This record gives sequence, structure tokens and C-alpha cells, in this order.
Amino acid sequence: MPNAGLKTIIALSFVLAVGFLLVILSCALYKEYYPLLVVATYVLAPFPNWICSRWANPDDFVESSGNAVLDLGRFCTGFLVVMGIALPVLLAHSNIIEVPAMVMCIVGGLLIYGTIISFGMSFQDDQEF
Amino acid sequence: MRIAGIMEEDRLWKFGKPAWLNSAWARNAGVYSAGALFSLAFYVLIDAAVWSKSPLNSSDVHVTFIDWLPFIFSSLGMLIINSVEKARLSADSFSYSGSGVAWKARVVLFLGFAALAGGMAGGVVVFVLKFAVHQVAWPMMGMGVENIVANGLVGLSSVVLWVSQNMEDEYSYNLAL
Repeated sequence: MPNAGLKTIIALSFVLAVGFLLVILSCALYKEYYPLLVVATYVLAPFPNWICSRWANPDDFVESSGNAVLDLGRFCTGFLVVMGIALPVLLAHSNIIEVPAMVMCIVGGLLIYGTIISFGMSFQDDQEF
Repeated sequence: MRIAGIMEEDRLWKFGKPAWLNSAWARNAGVYSAGALFSLAFYVLIDAAVWSKSPLNSSDVHVTFIDWLPFIFSSLGMLIINSVEKARLSADSFSYSGSGVAWKARVVLFLGFAALAGGMAGGVVVFVLKFAVHQVAWPMMGMGVENIVANGLVGLSSVVLWVSQNMEDEYSYNLAL
């Protein structure tokens, strides 16, 4: 899909910008900059899978340790994704940030993560072949 | 297919596993959700700790290291349980049981389950001794309840991880044949 590539990039960058806008708004409107941690979380979230898929040898079926390494990466990814939602909820529960800031932060974080994931998915095939 | 036929015969339960449960998709989803559940457990406990130090907490009951101890034990148990190679458990039926791998696996697994169950029981103990006995009022009582919830979620997470790792075997069989 050489034509779809450009449209995908433009759409994804718009979504990413909206995500960052929401997160930064949730910080700046209330002068409380803890929600920025969510950005760091979601930027880190795809890393365990990338690292572990390099580390594991997928051709090795006899030794199942490769599968265990992949599972470790998936476990860490699941951990980080839920962390991005749990962190704003936690901060709002202790009155450190306001509830509207929490909502903006969660939505923005999910948009950022969705962008990263769909970017990886739509351009993975091109790199493989 | 031949191996699948043999597995059908020595099945114990009347109801077999549905076919979709053996797919790679279900397995990966299981591992992801195990990570998600563990994260939830961790952040429920952090929530209790942060809330305890926030101005909302008007009492002098605070989350200390004691409240973290059950979680540490149950996480340690989860780590041990899921680090053991499951295939070694049934090593008796194979030829390499001579070195006592199955025996070692059972001892390590027992320690892991003991740590997990101890952690879950410890969460209840902390709740009862620190919160229920002193009859702490409700918003503060939440810190004790969150402790129980966190340890329960660690247990649930390790169950999910265990089940989805056991799916792996049949999946790789299907792939190898």
C-alpha cells in the first residue's frame, strides 16, 4: 500500500498531536504536572515487546525459553498499559489532580498509545519484506 | 493429529476445552491480562499508600512497610510459580525423572504457592489487626480493603498466567505437527 502510507502518517500524527494536547492541557490547566508521567508510561509501553522479540529465538521450538521471554515482554506491556490508566485514577483519588484532568489525561494517553501501536502495525509489514 | 487423539483419550473431564482456547491469540491475551491484573494490584496498593499521606486522610492510621509485606510475599510467590518449567512437573512419566527434576519442581512450586497463599492470608491479617480490630472509620478503612484486593488480584493474575502458559504446550504441539 504505497498510497495509504502518506495518509496513515498524516492521520496518525494528527491523533498523536491531539493526544499530547490533551495530556499537556490536563497538566497546564491545573498547574499540576504529574499527569506527564502518563506520556512516559505509554512511550515505554511498546519497548518490552520489541526487546523481547529480539531476545527470543522464534525458530527454536524445542527449547521453550524463547516463548517464556516473549511472555515476559507481553506481561510487562500489559503492566505498563494498565499503569497509564491507573496512575491518573490514583492521583485523582488522592486529590492531587482534579477529575477533569484525570479524564483528559487518560483519553490523551490512550490516543498516544493507540498511535504508537497502529504506527507499528501499519508499517511492520513494509519492513519485513 | 495423532498426539491430539491420544490427548483426547486420557482426558479427565467430561467437557473438553473449547477450540479457541488453544489458539495463540487466546494465549497472548491471557498473558497480557495477567500483566494488567498485576499492574492493577500494584497500583491499588500504591493508591492506598498515596491516599494515606494525602490531606484526605484525617486519621493517624498510615500505610507503613507492614502493609507492603503481604504484597511482597505474594508477588514473590507469583514469580516463583511462573518461573518453574511446567513440563517438568509431569517428568515422572518420562525417562528423565532420574535426576529428580519433578521432585525439585514440586518443592519449588510448593514454596511458591506457600508464599502466594501466605501473602493473601497476610493481607487479611493486616486488615483485621490494623483496621478491623481498631474499628477505623470508613474512608480510612479503604486502605485495609485495598490491601486485601491487591493481594487477591496478584493471586488472580498468577492463575491467569498459569492457565495461559499451560495452553502453550498444546499450541506448540499443533504447530509442530
